[in-house]
Amino acid sequence: MLGVRNATLALSRVNERLFFGVIGFVGVLVVWETTAQLGLYRKSLLSTPSAIWRAALTDFANGSMAPHITTSLSEFAAGFAIAMAVGIPLGLLIGSFRRVDYLFNGLLAGLNATPNVALIPLIILVAGIGYEAKVVVVFLSAFFSVVVTTFTGVSTTAARHLDITRSFGGSRWLAFRTVVLPSTFPFILSGTRIGLGRALVGVVSAEIISANQGLGFYISLYGTFLDTARVMLGIIIFGVFGVVIGEGLRILERRFEVWRPDLHR
Amino acid sequence: MTIDVAREPGQHMALSARGVQMEYRDRQTGHRLLALERVDLDIPDGAFVSLLGPSGCGKSTFLKIVNGLILATAGEIKLHRVAKGREDAMVFQDAALFPWYSVVDNVAYGLVCAGVSRKEARSRAVPYIDLVGLKGFADKYPYQLSGGMQQRANLARALAVDSAILLMDEPFASLDAQTRELMQAELLRIWTAARKTVLFVTHQIDEAVFLSDRVVVMAARPGRVIADIAIDLPRPRSLEMKQTPEFARYEAQIWKLIAHQQPSDTAPVP
Repeated sequence: MLGVRNATLALSRVNERLFFGVIGFVGVLVVWETTAQLGLYRKSLLSTPSAIWRAALTDFANGSMAPHITTSLSEFAAGFAIAMAVGIPLGLLIGSFRRVDYLFNGLLAGLNATPNVALIPLIILVAGIGYEAKVVVVFLSAFFSVVVTTFTGVSTTAARHLDITRSFGGSRWLAFRTVVLPSTFPFILSGTRIGLGRALVGVVSAEIISANQGLGFYISLYGTFLDTARVMLGIIIFGVFGVVIGEGLRILERRFEVWRPDLHR
Repeated sequence: MTIDVAREPGQHMALSARGVQMEYRDRQTGHRLLALERVDLDIPDGAFVSLLGPSGCGKSTFLKIVNGLILATAGEIKLHRVAKGREDAMVFQDAALFPWYSVVDNVAYGLVCAGVSRKEARSRAVPYIDLVGLKGFADKYPYQLSGGMQQRANLARALAVDSAILLMDEPFASLDAQTRELMQAELLRIWTAARKTVLFVTHQIDEAVFLSDRVVVMAARPGRVIADIAIDLPRPRSLEMKQTPEFARYEAQIWKLIAHQQPSDTAPVP
């Protein structure tokens, strides 16, 4: 009996969330459209949902949008993949070996504190204005948060957990695999999440500053034409990117961290 | 400081400690602090011995020295050699299970540390999970277990490596009173079944008397042994035994020993 009641409660809570979520979303659209149509402000300033919709239909139908999306996606994916591939191992090394920490800590702290946008002109000088330059910007944007959270995770591994391996005579390598890695995993995930957000910012800023393709370019191009509907469209597509990636990560988290009670509530 | 493993046949001591000393230097004042002062202790094979004393008497430190987690500054410890595996295994104070492992993986972990393959370690863990009364919980995660059940898993992990001596560091300290009593009785049942030598650290007099063949009483500042009392109560013991006058006499005797040490405990530290 109790189980059944709990199940229905959980189900209705999900429905409730969806219901009000949709209401909030639709509500904003309706207010946006009506205030614009009523002429409370100039339509060219914020555009309207219906105009954005029409722009989306045209640009997706005639194929002019697709190359921008694939370009941005591929710059994003490449830069982010490299950031993970370098950042996670480096973070693990820094966290595990004191001397590697000393070696890199100051450097990383300095570079991390530098706003990435400030580096873009330099990157253009070195890597040009093409695909590679964007990958470098994305990489730099995501890299530091991945490294920093990973080594923070390693260095906060509970001493009482490390004692268990030592107590039973396990090797340092075994402790790394069975204790350090799993207890660092949540940190790596949150570093990944922060890194994803920054990488997205990296793509947009790099493409807005200099590019001939990509969503950021699309936004800045139509900005100069005062085509706010298309500017909004570009922004919305970036927003959808962010949400989809974030949700994907959340699913990953649940899948791999069955042992964390806070994820099951 | 050395930890030796006795090799000569016919050795009947599971553990024998001579002059074990632990000194710290206070970083601020530079004063020497004696956590343990020349501790001698012999534990025969199969015995259940408790180290009893107030906090700060070094009883847990001694246990960690035996286990190899801490290096003593002086002294010698001999452990009975076993054919394979570890000589000693620790049951930790807070259950210290890995939250990312299920019960069976936690119990198997000591074997994995000894180089046993994960698959074999799992299958060897199963009988110990049953022995401690966790049958049916092998695939649960620590957060799904009560405090008492976590301590059972903690105990099973130490039992599974099949060591000559079991080191138990106040394993029931964080449990509520009823669960603790139940776990004491359970421990005696398991001890009888597993035929282990046990060195049990506690600050609870009744717990020490109920479980042990011998209670070694310690005092603080410096941490040292002040008495070694044989508990001649019949076995098997049940919880009702705690109501008998003999039991109360042992409790009173030990309480008197500890109470004598109290003034020094409340005196200001030099």
